[in-house]
Amino acid sequence: MPEGWTDILTETLREAGQRLAIVAPRILAMLALIVLALVAASLARRLTVRLLRLARFDTGAARWGLGGALGRLGVREPPAVLAGQLVYWSLVLIGLLLGLEALEMPAANELIGLALWLLPNLLVAGIVLLAGWLLANFLSQAALIAAVNAQVAGAPLIAFAVRWLVLVFAGGAALTQLGIAREMVLLAFGIAFGGTVLALAMAFGLGAKELAREILESRLRKRDEDRDPVSHV
Amino acid sequence: MRHAPGDALMTIGSTIWERLGQAGPAVAEACGEADLLVGIPVANHGKNVGRVVERAAAGLAQHVALGKTVVLVVAGGPHDGALELLPHPAPAPAPAIRLVHLATASRGMALLAILAAAARPGLRALALADAGLESLSPEGLSRLLGPILAGDAAYVSPAYSHAASEGTLTTNLLAPLLRALYGHRLTQVVGGCAALSGQLLQRFLAVANADPELAERAAEVWLPTEAVTSGSAVAEAAQGRKRLDPGLSPPDLATTLVQVVGPFFTLMERYRAIWFDVQGSREVPLAGERPAFLPPVSGVKVERMVHAFRLGLKDLLPLWEEIVPDETLGQLYPLGVLAPDEFVFPPRLWAQTVYAFAVAHHDRRLPREHLLRALTPLYLGRTAAFLLEAQAAPPERMAELPEQIGRAFEAEKDVLRARWR
Repeated sequence: MPEGWTDILTETLREAGQRLAIVAPRILAMLALIVLALVAASLARRLTVRLLRLARFDTGAARWGLGGALGRLGVREPPAVLAGQLVYWSLVLIGLLLGLEALEMPAANELIGLALWLLPNLLVAGIVLLAGWLLANFLSQAALIAAVNAQVAGAPLIAFAVRWLVLVFAGGAALTQLGIAREMVLLAFGIAFGGTVLALAMAFGLGAKELAREILESRLRKRDEDRDPVSHV
Repeated sequence: MRHAPGDALMTIGSTIWERLGQAGPAVAEACGEADLLVGIPVANHGKNVGRVVERAAAGLAQHVALGKTVVLVVAGGPHDGALELLPHPAPAPAPAIRLVHLATASRGMALLAILAAAARPGLRALALADAGLESLSPEGLSRLLGPILAGDAAYVSPAYSHAASEGTLTTNLLAPLLRALYGHRLTQVVGGCAALSGQLLQRFLAVANADPELAERAAEVWLPTEAVTSGSAVAEAAQGRKRLDPGLSPPDLATTLVQVVGPFFTLMERYRAIWFDVQGSREVPLAGERPAFLPPVSGVKVERMVHAFRLGLKDLLPLWEEIVPDETLGQLYPLGVLAPDEFVFPPRLWAQTVYAFAVAHHDRRLPREHLLRALTPLYLGRTAAFLLEAQAAPPERMAELPEQIGRAFEAEKDVLRARWR
């Protein structure tokens, strides 16, 4: 036998050693990047929470209805802590992606490419959704109070409609940003939005004749109110 | 003589002068070296201003011996041309009548312009009057100026004879809140006219300079608050029945609450150190005969107010739960089932409710405008109960009704202190 089993063993171990010599620094680099990301994420989380508390973010979030909505979803952490967690996990995710890139594996590179395309769009879509949600809360609250003050009987229904119109609009904008079946979303949104408005108009005119009458009556009553003998200031 | 806002005036209200821009020197020049000044801010309602100017000039004419007298009309924004028909002034020493137009369409800015122009060391007294205050009489104006000129007061507030159905926001909220917070029993807070000394005016402008937006938006609320918090002597002057230009269209009730109660709550933050320690309250001296508090005028219907309260209780409850503490809310629920003619809303419960809204306004639990608008059904409920009480009260007991509300606000003040952080 030209080669004995010891030669094969030596050759195998030598090749394995060579491969390890190539891969080990990459694995070490990956681990170092992940550890670094974890440390940076932890620091960034603390800093975020501290800064948001200084800016009275929790109070502001409560004012905008964010605190109450999170409570209803069973989330007990204050909004500032949640924002800190968001920063933490974003940095950890970035660290993981960088670590994977350090391995220089073809599959990892594809994954990173996809993530790099998706992440900014996800961020923008998230911001659009959050802004839409805040606006929906604000406008529906304003509509509710205005309708009650005008003594309209179906005030919660009006507030509900305003809220969902804004939310549907924000959802459509977020999906368009993500590029998910863009044409389909635009078409579906157009049909849904137009259909909702038409349905509401028909429901209001046909199904809710009483409500329509009350609104008109309350507008007329407003004229009477101007002649009301009670003066307030 | 041209009186440019460049010397001592700049030290007070400099931000306000900046906001006035090119109009500043014009207003200052029109004010001139007046010893006694009546300022009439106008915006979009110049129709009857001529009559008000005429009566103001007649009132000032009683004091011409004291120095130079000027009636200054400052118009913010467009008007219907009636301002050009102001009465021609009689020859000196009769009061001069001057008119200045501002480019800004704002009554608040017109009022601030008058205050800023008047704040000069030589001024003895300034009276302010709404352009729409038809009931202003020469005697009433003279009574407003009297305590200032005699050195007995730095601020004189009007005191009107009125029916229970008039000025219900003042009777049920503004006056009792001012009384409980700052210890002064003023019958009127935003009364369409007032008089103040030059010293108080300078103090007001110095403070308002730090927050010119609020000063512009709510100078009429801030002035009496500044007067009662400054430790200055405050008095009232009887003015008879209040009558406004019927052509004026007041804002809707919710907007009125935002415009009047909002600044009041905001000023509670500024003057927290003062009101927190105030205990009890005291009467303020009155010039003239004590104004009468009369039964409600006929034709007042409380059904619609009670309906508004019930609707609020049904639909705004989720919002009220964020504002009003559970124990107060628990007392409001049973009111929703009362028949309109038996409706009650006790003063102490009302005081607790108002304090809860003041605390929520301070804590910014809701957008502030939403919060103030959400008070409307509760206020209408309280007004309905008050009018029913007034309708049932014998004439000799009418005066006790506002007194009961004032005492209730004083009694519940500890609740406010405990919740205010």
